[in-house]
Amino acid sequence: MAVLRGENIGKEFPGVVALSNVDIQIESGKVHALVGANGAGKSTLVKILTGYYDNYNGTITIDGKEVVLRTPSDALLNGIEVVHQEVDTQLVPTLTVAENLYLENFATNKNGVMVFTSHLKRDAEKDLKDIGFPLPVSEKVENLSLHEKQQLVIARALLHKVKFLILDEPTSSLSLLEAEKLFDLVRKLKMRDVGILYISQRLDEIQLVADEVTVLRNGKKAAHFDRIPSLSAIVEAMLDTPQGDLFPKREQRNFEEEILRVENLTYKNKVNNVSFGVRKGEILAITGLTGAGKTEILKMIFGALPTGHGKIFLDGKPVRIKSPVDAIENGIYLVPEERRKEGLILDKPARENISIPFLRNFCGFLGRVLKKNESYHAKTLAEKVRLVPFDVERQAQYFSGGNQQKIVVSRWLGGKPKILLLDEPTQGVDVGAKREIYQLIMQIAKESAVILATSEINEAAGIADRILVIRDGRIVLELNSENADTKVIMSYAAGVKP
Amino acid sequence: MKNSFTERMTNFLLKYGVITALVILVVFFSLSTRAFFSLDNFFDILRAVSILTIVAIGVTFSVVVNGMDVSVGAVTGLAVIFSTAMMVIWQIPWYLAVMGSLLIGVGIGLLNSFLILRLRIPDLLATLGTLYLVQGLQMWITKGDAVYRGMTNPWSPLREVTKGFIPKEFLTIGQGFVLRTESFRGIPVPVIIMLCVVFSTWFLLEFTRFGRAFYAVGGNIEAARLAGIPVRKYRTAAYVISASLATLGGLVLASRIGSGAVKAGDPYLLDAVASTYFGFAVLGVRRPNVWGTFLGAVFVGIMLNGLTMLNTPWYIQDFIKGLVLVSALGISFAIRKESR
Repeated sequence: MAVLRGENIGKEFPGVVALSNVDIQIESGKVHALVGANGAGKSTLVKILTGYYDNYNGTITIDGKEVVLRTPSDALLNGIEVVHQEVDTQLVPTLTVAENLYLENFATNKNGVMVFTSHLKRDAEKDLKDIGFPLPVSEKVENLSLHEKQQLVIARALLHKVKFLILDEPTSSLSLLEAEKLFDLVRKLKMRDVGILYISQRLDEIQLVADEVTVLRNGKKAAHFDRIPSLSAIVEAMLDTPQGDLFPKREQRNFEEEILRVENLTYKNKVNNVSFGVRKGEILAITGLTGAGKTEILKMIFGALPTGHGKIFLDGKPVRIKSPVDAIENGIYLVPEERRKEGLILDKPARENISIPFLRNFCGFLGRVLKKNESYHAKTLAEKVRLVPFDVERQAQYFSGGNQQKIVVSRWLGGKPKILLLDEPTQGVDVGAKREIYQLIMQIAKESAVILATSEINEAAGIADRILVIRDGRIVLELNSENADTKVIMSYAAGVKP
Repeated sequence: MKNSFTERMTNFLLKYGVITALVILVVFFSLSTRAFFSLDNFFDILRAVSILTIVAIGVTFSVVVNGMDVSVGAVTGLAVIFSTAMMVIWQIPWYLAVMGSLLIGVGIGLLNSFLILRLRIPDLLATLGTLYLVQGLQMWITKGDAVYRGMTNPWSPLREVTKGFIPKEFLTIGQGFVLRTESFRGIPVPVIIMLCVVFSTWFLLEFTRFGRAFYAVGGNIEAARLAGIPVRKYRTAAYVISASLATLGGLVLASRIGSGAVKAGDPYLLDAVASTYFGFAVLGVRRPNVWGTFLGAVFVGIMLNGLTMLNTPWYIQDFIKGLVLVSALGISFAIRKESR
């Protein structure tokens, strides 16, 4: 029996308190579920427990003895290991299962300098048999399924005699069948007296595997349950009371005819036969957990992902959108989720980032850019979105997150947006900028249709006229904002309701 | 205030380091050798770097879109052999030989982009493959022979002597002068061709939306794609431009030597890549740019010209080239300008 106990755990970043005064206890042989919405502080807690940060507040004890976790090896030495959501980051894809299993040994001289493939294979077979994990030891890791990779990382942890194992959203990319296998694995680990911290946003599976639950909300502990309570109690604890003035007042608007309709959008196993329409003047929110398929739906409409056998209709007529170029020509614009990776050319000034899609309009003979016109254009748009600092010659990378977002939004205001697609537009944006972005969205919606993908349910309920809830690539609920109950939405998104 | 002094020095070094070095070099050579500082020698140096500059600007395009084209040396060599063989062995008019060579250059560029974009071979490997293909082709055309007037036709069973020759018009490309006066030898034609290439590509990359798009593709390909730039077209264009300019360089080279030497283009690959990266250091822009590449090529040219005049042995010239390249890149990359 071992107990890991964290008391008053906290972590601050410049200007942000990511986690404050959280108590948590992991006991061997038990599964402790940790749940919370996006940005609740789950991953910060995981990082603290695995020695990712070199300082944090509060004390961590194991069996009553204080331990300090400042480096990943501190965590390892104390028997704490993690299976990351992105399990690929923990494995070397071009090496075999056996080699990955003993990766640590290659760093030390413990087992000598010489490595023999045959010995590795023999040892791996024996070790894997002892712990009951049948994995093909000579197979390269890149050929394994996601579930097998997770198994491998867990097996490696068991070989290290892991005492506390953290599973970070382990089922987020697994199929149902694989998820079942994972739950079996978790039960096996319990029998081996491993203490498990199980992080998930899917409440249905918590019922299946967890013994106790801690709910985080906005970096604080919102609730702790000794046994699994009704799921609605968890949902209630997860939800934040929204700030009343964050969202602009809704005006009564009349929606005109439907301008966009998509039918049977399907992308790999991420999006399944999604169909919906949106009317002019309407703000449609697509909400759901991270990885539910929201980003893919928007990218398919924008032509950045293949639509498969899905169909897109504009003003009732079928259109073929094979690339972003086609989409832009049709007045469909996308503000992508990861603005630094997908939105901006970071080492170019704001001016170039704003003018990029419609630069053609500011060109003279032989495509020469008329810089005066371009500059005037960029400034006008930057003013519309209230860019701060108001300096279009400043490189994009030096703006704050909120203002970087405004740059990406403003570039599309230079065209005639028919349909504006926004993917998590307020992610990593401070409250002030959030409010401004909401106002901007309201304004844009007067002239066009807006589709907003967001995993913040409050945001969906606060600004949209209509909400689609999607889970595992399927629409599971559609409702109008008048009867938008965040609890209901969360229940559907998290898989509590069918 | 000490801080601001070092800061200013750093900024100065970043911006004008290469140009300062260039000026120092010119002054040094002018003082130590009498022949160095003259208009004729000035144009000699420019003529000597003209082929390199043309090829290097091609490489610059591939680096602008965040790629690399190492097939340029072989493409240059192919143009030399192909154009001269056309004229000498098959007696084809010189202008058709020139056009044929350029078409083949475009074709090789398309092949490169096919390998890179369609088959998704990493650019370095794809163009390395093309390098060998093109080099093999080059040897095959003449069965490994050099092309010169009065050579035996390698393809005729009787090995009869060829009747073709390289006409004066073609030789003008590499050897001619314009604006000749009594006291002035004139401006070499290759220098004019080079300046045309420099100015047109400079205009293209720095002043047009096409240039913006090229740099956007190289800066953040996903952002460029999502902003509606047809990224595949621009990447294809970059490799086509690269191979075409290498071909143009090869034509000038063929005309300059007046015959078709085998593997004549090989040395241009490394020098062109070096000039392109050298260009990163010029004016501290830390991105590939036309004037930087040009100055890089000129720098290399002046150094070699001056060193030769100083009777520096040929076998240490590569070492000095390497030393200069490493220091220039060191200066521009090691001293990072922090956010303003």
